[in-house]
Amino acid sequence: MPEASASLRDALLLGPEALLAVAGVLLLCAGAIGRGVSRREAAWITGGSLALAALVLLEVRARTGPATFLFGDSFILDGYAFFWKFLLLAVVAVVVLLSARFLEPMASRASEYFALLLIATSGMMLMVSAIDLLTLWISLETMSLASYVLAGFWKREARSNEAAVKYFILGALSSAILLYGISLLYGATGTIHLFALARALPTVWAGGGWVAPLGCILLSAGLFFKVSAVPFHVWTPDVYVGAPTPVTAFLASASKLASFAVLARIYLQAFPALRGEWQTLVAAIASASMIWGTLAALTQQNVKRMLAYSSIAHAGYLLIGVLTASEIGLSSALFYALAYAFMTLGAFAAVIVLERGDYAGEACSDYAGLARRAPALAAAMLVFLVGLTGIPPTGGFFGKVFLFAAAVQSGWTWVAVIGVLTSAVSLYFYFRIAVFMYLTKDAREAREAPSPLRAPSLFGAIAVCAGITLWLGLYPGPLIEIVKRSLLALR
Amino acid sequence: MFDWVRGIPILSLICYLPLAGALVVVFGLKDPRTIRRFATGIALLDFLLAVPLWFAYDPAGKLFQFTEDGEWIPAIGVRYQLGIDGIALLLVLLTTLLGALAFLSSWSAIREREKEYYTFLLLLQTGMLGVFCALDFFLFYVFWEVMLVPMYFLIGIWGGARRLYASIKFFLYTLVGSVLMLLGILALYFVNGEGLLGFPGLGNPLTFSIEQFHRIGPSIPPALQLWIFLAFFVGFAIKVPMFPFHTWLPDAHVEAPTAGSVILAGVLLKMGTYGFVRFSLPILPDATRRCLPWVAGLAIVGILYGALCAMAQRDVKKLVAYSSVSHLGFVMLGIFALNGPGLSGAVLQMVNHGLTTGALFLLVGILYERRHTRQIADFGGLSAVMPRYAAIFLVVTMASIGVPALNGFVGEFTILIGAFDHAWWWGLYAALGIVLGAAYMLWMFQRVFFGPLDKEENRRLPDLSGRELACLLPIVALCFWIGLYPKPFFQILGKPVAFVVERLDAGLAGAVVSGTVPAAVAPGER
Repeated sequence: MPEASASLRDALLLGPEALLAVAGVLLLCAGAIGRGVSRREAAWITGGSLALAALVLLEVRARTGPATFLFGDSFILDGYAFFWKFLLLAVVAVVVLLSARFLEPMASRASEYFALLLIATSGMMLMVSAIDLLTLWISLETMSLASYVLAGFWKREARSNEAAVKYFILGALSSAILLYGISLLYGATGTIHLFALARALPTVWAGGGWVAPLGCILLSAGLFFKVSAVPFHVWTPDVYVGAPTPVTAFLASASKLASFAVLARIYLQAFPALRGEWQTLVAAIASASMIWGTLAALTQQNVKRMLAYSSIAHAGYLLIGVLTASEIGLSSALFYALAYAFMTLGAFAAVIVLERGDYAGEACSDYAGLARRAPALAAAMLVFLVGLTGIPPTGGFFGKVFLFAAAVQSGWTWVAVIGVLTSAVSLYFYFRIAVFMYLTKDAREAREAPSPLRAPSLFGAIAVCAGITLWLGLYPGPLIEIVKRSLLALR
Repeated sequence: MFDWVRGIPILSLICYLPLAGALVVVFGLKDPRTIRRFATGIALLDFLLAVPLWFAYDPAGKLFQFTEDGEWIPAIGVRYQLGIDGIALLLVLLTTLLGALAFLSSWSAIREREKEYYTFLLLLQTGMLGVFCALDFFLFYVFWEVMLVPMYFLIGIWGGARRLYASIKFFLYTLVGSVLMLLGILALYFVNGEGLLGFPGLGNPLTFSIEQFHRIGPSIPPALQLWIFLAFFVGFAIKVPMFPFHTWLPDAHVEAPTAGSVILAGVLLKMGTYGFVRFSLPILPDATRRCLPWVAGLAIVGILYGALCAMAQRDVKKLVAYSSVSHLGFVMLGIFALNGPGLSGAVLQMVNHGLTTGALFLLVGILYERRHTRQIADFGGLSAVMPRYAAIFLVVTMASIGVPALNGFVGEFTILIGAFDHAWWWGLYAALGIVLGAAYMLWMFQRVFFGPLDKEENRRLPDLSGRELACLLPIVALCFWIGLYPKPFFQILGKPVAFVVERLDAGLAGAVVSGTVPAAVAPGER
């Protein structure tokens, strides 16, 4: 039976995703049976599953060629997909480290939390492989549904509930719009496969009519919502502030990047021939995100909110990579995505360290005098802030340089000008935290210094993030090589 | 006897010694006294490492010497290339010397958070030295930006009352300038390679090598040159600072702690003018000529405006700060005279300004430590109580206003020759600037040091201590040396200045040979 063996092979090649989903479900069940699963056990199981998934993924990569199609062309395993899968696994692993402290007061629910995280990860990893709009939508929903619940995980906290409801309603709406776009595209072209769409769209488009354009627009709108680009960003600040901070870190890094990966794949692999049509649109959205994200962040007093707006601006920077539709642009975006992920995770980790249930750690003023209370933590936070601003020697600097270089080279100089100017302005709000950490004295009575010993996993995560940020800023060569091997086949 | 420095990566050593020192301070030292001594020792050692360069530099040899070259980011053609010509040599020496003196001067001024202070100061040294040593434009830019962070903290933590405002203003201004400069660098990078924005590229391997950019300069299309020039101009002009980009300077200089002001005025401002000499002129000769009237106009406005503002100040430190605007306008005028005397005078004047203004800030700082005021009106008759202080102040004032036998005269006079050579009325305005400079400096000197000693608090001011003398005397000695025997300096500057002038002339002829001669030279050939 050649067919059965083929689908068995396909299933095995999606082993990492399956492994994560199964681990998530088992963890959920184990948590409900008997004495349940302790917080520590759940964290270890999650971390173990992620590590195992990474090992299996390595094996899968070794056994597949440059592009392997699975399940009747529903999924693809190419360098691009592998890059994102490994990155997402690493990012989620850091999120696991960040979560331990938050779960302390609700230890009995730790298994649920980690189960949701694993299922979301599984969804994201499928997403970046999907080349069929329906499997893409299903994996996107797998990620989203788990994220909605995670955003509301702080059950007794009104803000968290609000965040979950807002995220769910707006997210469901955007999913619906996305699905509607898919159906229109199917109606216009008769296919939901990305490569077939790429072949069919130009003729359909040339034939006139509104169905295909509207389909493209609705599909794009749904994806721009997920990466929180202006004008589809309004949910971001509220959800980021209300969600438990580890979940915010997850949304700002893993969720955003997986959605970005899909967005880039659709634009570059399904709509490549329509480049002339969408480049201006993407340029406008990228610029609007950079400008609005930066301007709105200027006045924020809450660090999580500030980071939320900064993540909107960063969506704009990442979109430059799509906009250029060139290899250098895409590789710059991949590089920047990696650098951004760890800088953002690190910044949120620092917020978590200072958090003590009463919203401490969220106001900028909570950072007053941190350089004296916890010099190492302050120094790490400074590294993240410098990186997010895009100043050397950090990965953020190289990422931005590459992106702006791509924009300049492909003739989008005005976008690059907006990008460099917003980066310069962003210094003001990122460094406001530095001002508090280094330049202001602690107004209240000296609070206890956060101790690495009390939260080894958190400080470990911060050290890893700071290390990666600096490493990418001092010796980015190896990552550039990896990124170059991970590009989409552009045509 | 100093040839051994050619056998070792001397520039890397000089650049990273402060960084290594900073790491030791962060991780190894606790006691403030030890930190202070250790950091100053490192800075002094750095200067001593740099001195052999002066002797080993061969004025007749290659343009860039002590070069180092290694892979850094091969994927995009960024190399780790260091090397200095005569211009950079003088600035490296100036940086290490002023650095050591700034460290020494901080001993009594900085009494809190010393560990962080000396760490930032050491990091700043590394950044500044890297800027002058880099031969790869990308590397240059990295150092250029890295330096901003420690400077920001130096002003922000140990500065005066309005330090928060001053520090963020400094940071934002310079960052805006430098990111636009980055776009210019990227444009150069692409035009050397595949081309951009519809301009055909020159088809060379992708590189950020400054020497390669020097080579291709004349073949860059004039329209693109203009854009790149403007991008560079914003970055460098903010740093210089030229009128009307100067408004960060009075704030930053006045609020910074003494050592910060010394380094800001002495070294950081020179990075802007250095940028013009190293990049704008030789790489973009055509655009330079086209923008010449505007830049010269701004320089002249800067000279006069800075001088008039200085004249109106009641605060000594502010007066010195505004005098920098005026003096740097002078330097810019010399650079944009685009001839040998103008350029070499300008570079020498960069060094002179670093020495004299550095010394003035040190002197003001010394006075401030004793009296906690800098208002001119609070002083008077100080020459009676602090004779040694007054004497040194007088020498530095004379150097600043360009009295013969001191360094300022040599620099200003050479610039004037260049300016007159270019256009007689440039020389006229420049001369007017000198007169105004003499007026505000002497008037200030008179009000502070002469007249009746009528303030009770001033009667018991102690004169200079041994450490303070050690800070100031080297500068005074150098002022006399350059003033009396400037020949070795001009010798060192001869070749690099001739190179810039030759590139500018090649730009004129560039229309004829465009794309053939300079572009055909493969990168790496010298």
